[in-house]
Parts: sequence; C-alpha cells; structure tokens
Amino acid sequence: MKKLKDFFRYDNIGLLFILPAFIYMMVFVGYPIISNIILSFQNVSVRNLVNGQKEFIGLENYVTIFGDEVFRKAMINTLVFTVSCLIFQFLAGFLLALLFNKNFTFSKPVRGLTMIPWMMPMTVTALMFKFMFSTDVGIINYILKSAGLIKENIEWLTTPGTAMVAVVVANIWIGIPFNTILISTGLTTIPQELYESASVDGANGWQKLTKITLPLLRPTIESVLVLGFIYTFKVYDLVYVMTEGGPVNSTHLLSTYSYKLSFDLFQYSKGSSVANVLFLILLLVGMIYLKITMQGEDD
Amino acid sequence: MDEKRLNKKTNIILCVVSLIVLLMLLFPLFWTLVTSFKTEKEIFMIPPTWYPHVLNTKSYAAQIETGDFNMFKSFFNSFMISIGAMLIAVLLAVPASYAIAKYRFAGRKAMLLGFLVTQMLPVSVLLTPMFIMFRNMNMYNTWGAAILADATIGIPFSVLILKNYFASIPQALEEAAYIDGCTRWGAFVRILIPVAKPGVIVCAIFSFLYAWGDLAYGMTFILDQEKRPITAGIFNFMGQYGTKWSYLTAFAIVAIIPVTLIFIFMQKYIISGMTSGAVKG
Repeated sequence: MKKLKDFFRYDNIGLLFILPAFIYMMVFVGYPIISNIILSFQNVSVRNLVNGQKEFIGLENYVTIFGDEVFRKAMINTLVFTVSCLIFQFLAGFLLALLFNKNFTFSKPVRGLTMIPWMMPMTVTALMFKFMFSTDVGIINYILKSAGLIKENIEWLTTPGTAMVAVVVANIWIGIPFNTILISTGLTTIPQELYESASVDGANGWQKLTKITLPLLRPTIESVLVLGFIYTFKVYDLVYVMTEGGPVNSTHLLSTYSYKLSFDLFQYSKGSSVANVLFLILLLVGMIYLKITMQGEDD
Repeated sequence: MDEKRLNKKTNIILCVVSLIVLLMLLFPLFWTLVTSFKTEKEIFMIPPTWYPHVLNTKSYAAQIETGDFNMFKSFFNSFMISIGAMLIAVLLAVPASYAIAKYRFAGRKAMLLGFLVTQMLPVSVLLTPMFIMFRNMNMYNTWGAAILADATIGIPFSVLILKNYFASIPQALEEAAYIDGCTRWGAFVRILIPVAKPGVIVCAIFSFLYAWGDLAYGMTFILDQEKRPITAGIFNFMGQYGTKWSYLTAFAIVAIIPVTLIFIFMQKYIISGMTSGAVKG
C-alpha cells in the first residue's frame, strides 16, 4: 500500500488523470484496430460474423485484393484524388492567406467567413455539389454553357473521368479554409523587419516571396501538406454520398471500396484488409507528421 | 499580419477582391438556400432564377406533416448523439490533457503518440470490429453506439489541443493553490480548468461538430431510420427521392442550422481550434 502511494506521489499521479481516456481509447479504438487485423487474416462473411467458426486463412485476403482490379483502381484513384486536391487547395489557400495577411478593413471578418465550408457536414457538402454538378438542373453546366465553354450539358457524375473532377472540386472546397488558416497563421510568425530591410535593398515582391516568405514558411508548408494528405487520403463520406464509388468504379477510393466490401457485399474480411492497407499508407506518411509534432516532447 | 497601413485605394481594392472571393466560396451555400425555397418547377427553369420568384416553404412544412422522412426527428437524433459524444470527449479529455501537460509519468510519450496516431485512423478500420462489438454489447441500433463511436474522434483531438492550454498555465499558479491547501484534484478543478476554459470550449465545439458531421458510424451502427442521425437521413433520402431537389436542399439547410449558429456565436474558438490543433499537435 505504501509502495503504491509512493508510486503515485510525484509525476506518476498523472496516470490517474489520463487513465479514463486511455482505457476508453483502448476499448473503442485499440481493441478494434487489433481485431481488424485479425479479421483480415480470417474468412469472415455475413454467415459467421457474429457467431460461428472463423477460419484463419493467412494472407489470402491480401493476395486476393491485390489481384482485384477494383482494388488497384481504387488505389490509383485515391492517389489521384489526394494529389489533385492537395495541389489546388494548397495554392488557393496560399493565395488567400497572402490576401488576408494584408491589413485591409475586411481582412479579419472575411477570413473568418471563408472558414464556413470546413465546418459543413461532408454529407451536406456532397449533396450541394451533387446538385450543382447535376446534368440538367446543375448550375455548373449552365454557367459553362453561358460562358460558351461547352455546347452540350456534361453528365458530370455519370461519366468516368468527369465524376472524379466533380468529387475533387467538392473536396477542394472543403480543404481551402484549412489551408488558408494554417498558412495565414504561419505568415504571422515571419518578422516584418525582414520585408522592410529587403525593400530597402531594392527587392521586388517576387523576390520577397521566394527568398523570405517561402523559406521561412517551410515548417508550416510541411505540416499543412502532410496533414492535408492524411485528411484527404481517408475521405469517405463525401465521395460515398456523391457517387458511391461509381460510375463503373471510377471514383472508388480505398475508403469507399472497403466500406462497400464490408457493408454492401458482406465480405468483412476483405473489407478489413483494404482498410488495413489504407491505414498502413497513412501511418507511413504520418511518420513525418509524428516526427514534426513529437520534437521537443522529451521525457 | 502585415501591420503597415495601406493607402486608401489599395484598401478599397483589397476589400472588393476579398468580397468577390468570399461570394464565390460561399456560393454553394447560397444556392442551396435559394433552391430550398423554390418550387420544383422553378428549380428546373432555364435560365435559373437567382432568388425564388414564388416563395415555397412546403419543402420544410412537408417534413413536419408527413412522418415518412421527418427531418426534425433526425435533427433531434443528431443533436442527442452529438451532445452525448461531446460530453464523453470533454469529460475524458480534460483530465487526460492536464496529465500530459503537467506530469512526466511512465508511458507518457507512448500515450501521446497513441493519441496522434488515432487522428490518422480511417473510419473503415474501426467499422466492422465496432459493429461486432456493439452487437455483443446489445447496443447495436441505439444512439449509444453512435455516441461511443463518435467520441473516439473528439477525444484525441481534444487532448492534443487542451494540453497546449494547460502547458501554458504558469506552474506558480498551481503551486499557490497547493500552499493554500488545495489537493491536486482541488487545484485542477478550481484553478486550472477555469483558466483553460477557452480551450475546453474549443474542444466541446469540435467534438460536437465531428459527431454532427459523422455519417459512417451513424449509418452503420443504427439501422432504424427513426433513430438515425440527420446525415444518414439525408443519404437515405437522396437514394429514395434522387432528384427532388426542393426537399433535398431543405434537408441540407436544416442540417447546417447548428453549424451556422456555432459559427456566428463562437467564431473565435473555431479559428483558434483549427490553428492550435493542427500546427502543433
């Protein structure tokens, strides 16, 4: 008893404060992660999900999914989706951040209002963009037609290729605020004197951007891109609501395909395998983020 | 922030530019709102009307009258689920983040790493195991299942945000409380939590918003439409009434009422949450 008291006397008392959250996360996240790994080595379908014999079949599910054409397509789609979103939302966010960091009358309130898209439930965003991209009533076709850019209405969501464009556009809309606000915060950390002395030395705007802003912003840019990658790579609701992975699997991402395998086709073990592959990729990329974040967290 | 004063002309130009950008960014919301007040006939008109020429509130009223797809019922479900998830997340995350910020206990770094990794977790990894778990716990098809699952998004986020708030509180404040005879717990509850209150509010808001926006958990763990959250309701509705855009957009507008209210009244917390949470764990 005395030993126990001694153990908790100093820093270890922290354990008592963290224990409830820790146990909760072990039960509802830790255990499912492990159980999902086990599931991916078994042959679980609707027949033996809750009761019944579950057989271990080794790596068979992984072999099957890597031979599965839809899975490979989903893998490529996820990459295309993520990279396209990252490029455009980063550029847009960067430009907006530069704009809002000028000290004009509306800079603060307008910057605040541009955060709204980020807060929307993804399901609602998906609905709005599905409506705007629809063939006959869609405002996007109307605008493009009025501008003379297209002659016939485009069937955005029912044509492979254009469907991917539509989901990418919708996701960029969500991602812009996030990029804007983080880059904007990063910009405020750059000392103003640097720009002033550069002006004295006769530097123009472009030189200031490439020689001062970008190099000093590098840590921010790194974390924005890594976090953006993580959030975008696992997007699920947006695409599932807009296209359900269609047409002809052209917008299936690893996340939506995993969901479909598990909860539409009831091939739980295969769905789990796909989810694990997705998680593994995120972890590998996330290492960079972990390295950045854990710096200075010494025991 | 560029502190130097802009001249009058530049100021006006930048104000105009920023307003144009804002209008373009918020256009989808405006368009959804306008559409929800149009008649089905007007929605299909070409060229489209920029405001409802015939004001139609039926898309909202029909939802209350017919029990088929009652959006106010699913609004209520979402509300209860989100409040539940928010309470769990805040109650567990506040002490946990205090521990991480103030004590160097055994396993601290590993736990911190654990919370960070959780943020990278795709929901599909947890769905099937949770599904089995909730069935075994007899919680399948209840709000409880969605609440417990949604809290797992709010907890790690809240811990990571709040630990910065607690870390920034000077040690002297806590020590003064001990000298005055406070216990650890007493100092935590009476001194530290009140000081970290803005952080707690940020966590509450984000835990609520995460749960409010969730589709996967609500759709997978709750089977009956009358218990499902509003996001799942919208998804079902889209499947059944595909192109009835007057109803669909009205549904969407109802779903974003709380988000809008939170934005209007708590904007500063949202911006601080978005920045402090993401830049530095």
